[in-house]
Amino acid sequence: MRERELIALLVIAGGFLLITPVLSVNRVTDFMIFCIFAMSFDLLYGYMGRLSFGHLLFLGTGAYCSGLFLKYISRNPMLAIIVGILVAGLLGMLIGLIIVRTTGACFALINLAFNHIGFFLVLSPLRRITNGEDGFGIHALPFGFLNFSSRTTMYWFVLICLVLVFYLLKRVTSSPFGILIRSIKEDETRVKFLGYNTFFYKWVTFVLAGSVAGLAGTLTALNYNYVNPNVMDVHGNVGAVFACLIGGAGSLYGAVVGGVSYMVISNYLPIYIQRWEMFLGFALLMIIFRFQKGIWGYLQSVWEYVERKKTVMKAIGVGAVKR
Amino acid sequence: MSDLISTQDLTKRFDGLVAVNQVNFSLQEGQVAGIIGPNGSGKTTLFNLLSGFFPPSAGRITFCGKDITKIPPHKRVGMGMARTFQLVSVFDSLTVWENLVLSTIRFKRDQQSVQSFFFAPARKRIVVDDCLKSLELVGLEKKASARTSELSYGEKRMLEIAIGLSLKPRVLLLDEPLSGLSDHEIGGVLDLIHRVKKNFALVIIEHKISKIVSVVKKLSVMNEGKILCEGDPEQVLRDPAVRECYWGKEEENCST
Ligand SMILES: Nc1ncnc2c1ncn2[C@@H]1O[C@H](COP(=O)(O)OP(=O)(O)OP(=O)(O)O)[C@@H](O)[C@H]1O
Ligand SMILES: [Mg+2]
Repeated sequence: MRERELIALLVIAGGFLLITPVLSVNRVTDFMIFCIFAMSFDLLYGYMGRLSFGHLLFLGTGAYCSGLFLKYISRNPMLAIIVGILVAGLLGMLIGLIIVRTTGACFALINLAFNHIGFFLVLSPLRRITNGEDGFGIHALPFGFLNFSSRTTMYWFVLICLVLVFYLLKRVTSSPFGILIRSIKEDETRVKFLGYNTFFYKWVTFVLAGSVAGLAGTLTALNYNYVNPNVMDVHGNVGAVFACLIGGAGSLYGAVVGGVSYMVISNYLPIYIQRWEMFLGFALLMIIFRFQKGIWGYLQSVWEYVERKKTVMKAIGVGAVKR
Repeated sequence: MSDLISTQDLTKRFDGLVAVNQVNFSLQEGQVAGIIGPNGSGKTTLFNLLSGFFPPSAGRITFCGKDITKIPPHKRVGMGMARTFQLVSVFDSLTVWENLVLSTIRFKRDQQSVQSFFFAPARKRIVVDDCLKSLELVGLEKKASARTSELSYGEKRMLEIAIGLSLKPRVLLLDEPLSGLSDHEIGGVLDLIHRVKKNFALVIIEHKISKIVSVVKKLSVMNEGKILCEGDPEQVLRDPAVRECYWGKEEENCST
């Protein structure tokens, strides 16, 4: 178990290191931040079966809070990251009390509504401190040997964050709690009759997903040294949905594979095709009708098929020897 | 002896329709009771009320001497009430043994800590072993790591009962545990019930009276939301009102 986890982490880190020379340090840093966000989204959607159209609210909260902290209070980047995560988590705790009671379309839309509210707040009523549409620049001091304004430092730091988040979520999703949230996805009522207060566990999941998205937000802010309302533009939520679907919902590997795929598509396709969003639409249709398990799910079924074949072959072989 | 479960004038209305009508049902510790009645007579609704699926429109429910009318379902489970559903309900997307994890770890103090519930792998010796023991009881241990969706309907029913048993209930409510099963599978379920019934009280809803007459000590007949008659099974079945409601229609059917 331990060994497998370690290998998984190494494979993921190695994968990102491999694509770095092909793409670029900046791009891959972006990709990794998005993958962190996609994993937090997948916890809600893929594992617990709650589709949110407003998860960027937490990324935005993380970005704004760490940004404002750096701008007005202290220029310590580590403290800013902690503040960003904490505030996003606290926000999750608060609005989670309402949101988590809903399911289905209602859950998706109420998240969207809160996301809109957040977007509007930073754009207009809080303009004095957020500088509205234009956003604001930030400048973090180095933390020990970590100089956050260096591209490479940022790259390595984000890579470590990604690996840590993956590890944390892997642990959480293979624990009894992981079984609990997968059970909630399938039949919440039944889980209540196993003696679990599903409301509480849904709330915990929501808060966890929000905090991880908050981390992605703080990294976004530090990476660009800049925060503007685009970080919580509601339209961005489509990206997370798409990433989970293309990679395979309900698997962290799927979220990472999907996150990278989505970033590749959205970063490179526009160079060749002007109306690239149309391609996204077609791809989504393809996934829904033909390819429901996503890339990772598909690889898994191939793997299972091969394993099965192997055992069948073995069984035949052993039988022959005995005879 | 005091009652384990008792209801006082329990009533459930679904806009206009009275599904359960002023029912006074009681069950003693360790008793095996059966509930029969025609389709739509309110048997499942009574279970739903007892287990807290929805609140009653009127009346009270007492369990272990406590008024549980307003207590949510998961707490009733904690107090020792487990149930199964008329349409088998297990988690298809999990493996068979994973279905038993949540109910099993409820009784392991050391597995309840934040560390082991949220961060430690579910797949570890002490948990899996207990799940396997529960599966052995119903004869599914060989399929422990199969996907639940690959089980037959009868096996799923067995798994659901195993989940109920692993909750170590004081009372287990079984909603038509024999419906949809082959004769062979029915034999299996009845045999299981015989083996475990000494450990707790049991309420069985059933359509085919003949199947459970040998198991139950007390039989209640429901019709149109009311308990028509209850008591010793033999006597109940001899009651003219019961014969009228239960067999009457069949006899008519036969004669026409
Ligand atoms: N959630 C609900 N909403 C509205 N009506 C309901 C609901 N549940 C049950 N009913 C109605 O209440 C009546 C009693 O239903 P119930 O399921 O308790 O019957 P039953 O005795 O279990 O029948 P069966 O033998 O078919 O399982 C039926 O007329 C049913 O249509
Ligand atoms: Mg019923």
